[in-house]
Amino acid sequence: MTTEIQTETTEAQTTRGKVYVIDRGRTKLRAGQGLLTGLEVVFRHFRDALTRKLEKPSQQTGVFTVQYPEERLKLPEAFRNFPILLYDDETGQELCTSCFQCQRICPPQVIHMTQARDPATGKPVPAVAEFLIEYDACMSCGLCAEVCPFDAIKMDHEFEYSTDVHGGLTLNKEALNRPISYYEKIAPTFWAEVKDSAMKKLQGNMKRRPDLIGVAPQMVEKIRAQRAAAAAQAPSPTPATPEAAPADKAARLAAARARAAEKAAEATPEPAPDSAPIDKAARLAAIRAANAAKKAEGAADEVAAPATDSAPTDKAARLAAIRAANAAKKAAAEGAPAAGSADFASTPSDAAPAADAAPPASGMPADKAARLAAIRAADAAKKAAAEGAAPASDAAPPASGMPADKAARLAAIRAANAAKKAAAQRDGSEE
Amino acid sequence: MTDILRSWIGGALPDWLIVLIAYLLVTTIVLFYAVGNFIMMVWAERRVVARMQDRLGPNRVGPAGLLQPIADAVKMFTKEDIVPRNADRWVHLLAPIVALAPVAMMLAVIPWGRGWEPVDLNVALLYMVAVSAVSGVGLMMAGWGSNNKFALLGAMRAVAQLVSYEIPAVTALLTVVILAGGMSLLELPYMQAGVPIMGATILCGDPAGCSPLLYSTITSFPGSPNEPVQALDLGLGWWVFTPVGFLGFLVFFIAALAEGERTPFDIPEADSEIVAGYMTEYSGMKFATFYIAQYILNFALSALAATAFLGGWQGPGVAALANMGGPWVHVAAALSAFYLLAKIWILFFVMIWLRGAFPRLRVDQLMDFAWKLLLPLALVNIVSASLMVGLTQWTSAQWGGLISLDGFAPWQRQLIAVLVTAIINIAAAYWILAINQRPKQVEWDEEELIAAS
Ligand code: SF4
Ligand code: SF4
Repeated sequence: MTTEIQTETTEAQTTRGKVYVIDRGRTKLRAGQGLLTGLEVVFRHFRDALTRKLEKPSQQTGVFTVQYPEERLKLPEAFRNFPILLYDDETGQELCTSCFQCQRICPPQVIHMTQARDPATGKPVPAVAEFLIEYDACMSCGLCAEVCPFDAIKMDHEFEYSTDVHGGLTLNKEALNRPISYYEKIAPTFWAEVKDSAMKKLQGNMKRRPDLIGVAPQMVEKIRAQRAAAAAQAPSPTPATPEAAPADKAARLAAARARAAEKAAEATPEPAPDSAPIDKAARLAAIRAANAAKKAEGAADEVAAPATDSAPTDKAARLAAIRAANAAKKAAAEGAPAAGSADFASTPSDAAPAADAAPPASGMPADKAARLAAIRAADAAKKAAAEGAAPASDAAPPASGMPADKAARLAAIRAANAAKKAAAQRDGSEE
Repeated sequence: MTDILRSWIGGALPDWLIVLIAYLLVTTIVLFYAVGNFIMMVWAERRVVARMQDRLGPNRVGPAGLLQPIADAVKMFTKEDIVPRNADRWVHLLAPIVALAPVAMMLAVIPWGRGWEPVDLNVALLYMVAVSAVSGVGLMMAGWGSNNKFALLGAMRAVAQLVSYEIPAVTALLTVVILAGGMSLLELPYMQAGVPIMGATILCGDPAGCSPLLYSTITSFPGSPNEPVQALDLGLGWWVFTPVGFLGFLVFFIAALAEGERTPFDIPEADSEIVAGYMTEYSGMKFATFYIAQYILNFALSALAATAFLGGWQGPGVAALANMGGPWVHVAAALSAFYLLAKIWILFFVMIWLRGAFPRLRVDQLMDFAWKLLLPLALVNIVSASLMVGLTQWTSAQWGGLISLDGFAPWQRQLIAVLVTAIINIAAAYWILAINQRPKQVEWDEEELIAAS
């Protein structure tokens, strides 16, 4: 009575992928035959489920259960769960440049990061200092991975994150970091597509990362050891000496700029001491900057002189810069009596700027010190102009990546700008 | 059991105490047997239906998930027992008991093996039917006492279903009563000895040369109720192999599905429509009691169907072992108990199979099915059964000289009876199916209609 049903599934390859054609047997059934056909189908499923697993899509019967913890399906490459950060296997350098694209696009706003800064200059570098993702609120949309221009953030295949520790689902950079080789393993074709451009970009970014910044935390020790070993083997090429000459020049230039700034601040113009000895030139420039600012305030200017006298050359330059900074600040903070400002600056137990400036003093070569001092002056002046009170707090331990003369020049420019601003503000407030 | 106990501790205890202990023991054994089967059925149902749906089913607790029912039981025991505030407290409490008790009572009269029957009741079939109807009261109590519209709806459906399906079920059982000439369940398996279709009608020509392994003494086979004969006995003379028994079995089994509330007749608890029907407001062990009642009812009905139509404990080898005498009788009893159990489980498998294959009927379809299909078939079957008895057993005096089959051998009479009833049953089945077909859709010719008007 049962109709013989030849349930055949044929597989055909078309241009748009595989097509499965299922023969459903007879469709016209007489009274009761439908019931029996149904029983037959169910029995076939029962019988086959006892003997085999469902392996191909063209198979209609067989157990399709995957006994999850023991058996796992192979995840497709495009499977995405939570994002991870990649770092280079050899150099340990992270691909992330802290460009904030992922943070901006993340719909639930679960990505947070801090950009790394060069401790010497305080300037941001293309690396990330800390990176947090709240996995518990991440919705696995994958937008972060899609938007990342450096292919630094990718979607992971790991999905077993069940925990009773809620906070444990906020992962920091160290927990997020995976070597590229890991990603290559889970998504080989995807990585192959972007590999070249990503590595090229990484090479470029590595050049702008001083010291160990940008190295994955778990790799820091290894890389440091590697570098130490490399340094011990290769004879050190003494990179500091050839830069000495340009540094002097730079100091002079800085002084010139400072002078210009001074003029802009409508101080009494003084001839530029071009003929002065190199160290002195830097010092002088700073002093002038300070003076200019001070004059704008109409305060005592004689204090600068003793300070310069007592200090050794390079130190003096630094000090002068500090003074310049302080003076500029004071200038901005209207109404404050500027008389004691110079003394303030020279005493170590003083307000923040002085304290900040003190540490880097000792072991530095002259030009470097000058540079630093100028930077500080600039910062302080800027801040003063902007807010009027807050001390510059960004000063960090000395950095070594940049050529000294360039830095010094830059610093001087900043000092000049700051002074100008201070003056402008002052003018405005007087009027 | 009583005899065994008497022989062991006959002198030590008063006789009434021995009888009491014996029956308590038997009751305990039967209840444990049923509950053990219930546990296995729950497990098997889940596993089997899972395979039918290409899954694995519970396989974590214990080997192959065998301990899953135990885990479920623990869960049930630790569940909070909730009674709705406006429920009728006592009715709510008593309902599961009223539902389970009659079901448990049904087990008392089933012959579980050759010589293993708890009670020999000469109206066992009537008892079964009557007692199983009581559990409907329990369902109604549950629905009414819960003070819940879904529960009440479920109970109404349950009662309507039970009442309408009782009729085809009883009518189908009537066939058995006619064939057996009595209502005793104990006798039924003995009557279903012999070979398929022919029953115990192939007699031994030479009483000396017949091996006791193939032939056994049939005392109460339809051909000759009084004088014992030697007949070929393979233990396969089940009534289901005759047209009458086949139709009766079909009708009874379908009606049993409805009485046991199995899919496709699980309308009373249709979980996709009315939550869980009359069980909606039950939790914990009370819910489990309903659950047990339902499965044991299925178990008992399967046992009844097997006994009435599938030969009960009858099977190849049982008679031969029994004929060998001595300790082999006990082996025969064990084998026969196994046969019955196997039949029950095959029927239960069919129940699961149906559940895996068919969707739930609508209420109107349910009623149609019972009243328009099953009942007429069962009624026709009664006629067939009567003819069967008449053709195989009646003397020409009983026929009043209308038909005289006295000169034929039993197997010839049996063959005639089978052919006649087969023709009647097949014709009736065709006819009833045909008149149950939906009327043909009339194609109205619009033009003609307009012209006519
Ligand atoms: S996957 Fe989506 S939600 Fe998750 S961190 Fe990335 S952008 Fe945010
Ligand atoms: S992960 Fe990519 S997008 Fe996000 S900050 Fe890093 S480089 Fe930018």
